[in-house]
Amino acid sequence: MNENNQARARHLQAEELETLAFPGDHRLPARSSAHAAECDRCRRDIEELQTLHSLLQALTPLQPVVGFSDRVMQRVRLPLPWRVRVLQAVRRHQVATAAAFAGAAAAVGVGLTWIARYPELTPMTIAAFLVQRSTAFLWSGVMEVGRLVYGSGILETAQGVAGQVTPVSAFVAVATVTLIGLASFRILLSLMEIDPALVSSHLRLRRRVRG
Amino acid sequence: MSYREHTDQNLVRLCLKTDERAARELVERFERPVFSLVYRMVRDRELAEDLTQEVFVRTFNNLQRYDRSYKFSSWLFKIAYNLTVDHLRKKQVKTISMHGSPDAVTPERQEATSLSLESDEDSPDAMVEARELAGYLEEAIAVLRPEYRTAILLRHVEGRPYDEIADIMGVPLGTVKTYIFRARRELRDLLEDRRDDGDEE
Repeated sequence: MNENNQARARHLQAEELETLAFPGDHRLPARSSAHAAECDRCRRDIEELQTLHSLLQALTPLQPVVGFSDRVMQRVRLPLPWRVRVLQAVRRHQVATAAAFAGAAAAVGVGLTWIARYPELTPMTIAAFLVQRSTAFLWSGVMEVGRLVYGSGILETAQGVAGQVTPVSAFVAVATVTLIGLASFRILLSLMEIDPALVSSHLRLRRRVRG
Repeated sequence: MSYREHTDQNLVRLCLKTDERAARELVERFERPVFSLVYRMVRDRELAEDLTQEVFVRTFNNLQRYDRSYKFSSWLFKIAYNLTVDHLRKKQVKTISMHGSPDAVTPERQEATSLSLESDEDSPDAMVEARELAGYLEEAIAVLRPEYRTAILLRHVEGRPYDEIADIMGVPLGTVKTYIFRARRELRDLLEDRRDDGDEE
């Protein structure tokens, strides 16, 4: 039996049936169409598929109650662009922003005055100086931390404290960490502009789903 | 240009600029298909509305994480599918009744949580027949496994292509094909059983 006859002899697969039922952009090889034309079973399968599709297509589209979109919009908080977020933060913390601006302006002023005193300085020499000083500063910071950890006995102290943990001190430590965690979570929510009420309504829905 | 003429992607872009009218247009554009899918999964009108509302709230609150190379409707359906399946898993609901919420214990509650099936047919006989058939089909869909139900609804009611359904459901393409194939076979068998019962009566 040659390939063409074999293809014509076997029944069509699910995908082939679907392609023949809803041709669209897809086309099947002529031998598959020829098989469908000759095979009662495959023709019946195609018709059943078309009927089921029409029945499902005819299902009534369901609609939520009137005013649904209003209720959704009341709960939706659209993300604000970063410029708006910065402006809002500035408005909320006017004194801190003014102080930061004044500090930055003073630093720039001092820097410019210093540069003006040395006309021989070029942008390249200034950049090299800043890189060299900042690298040295960072390195000395790392060395200081190392000295503090290994040289001041903090590790030994921590080991000593671990040996003296009592249930009361453990409770106090856990409670403190929990309070700090909750406060941080609250701050994080406000930074991400998530309404805490939204979190509680989500938790309510989860409880309802579980209940 | 009115908001109705904008593409989904344009509306998303406007939403990211805090345009509430664009958000409202997206809600109005997708509330019916999302609610239909969710309702057909949970069969409780109140719960379906709560879940659909949650779907939109989550969608808009996470809009900055939306990958624009992905179709917006697929992303929305993915959120709807995950939320609903999560609910069904927690409730461990395998099959559900067509006649109101599985939690409904009184006839009033059943009435309140069920949906009436409507038909556009004019003749009363045709209307009754169409309603009956739609009712059988809704019942048959309700008996399917949630995965089969979602796959077949997305394919034949929403007209989504296979690869998009695979994305929405987070399963391989071959699995979606199997789901749809089995769902069709089960629906056909259920409808045939129903027809045989009707003939015997």
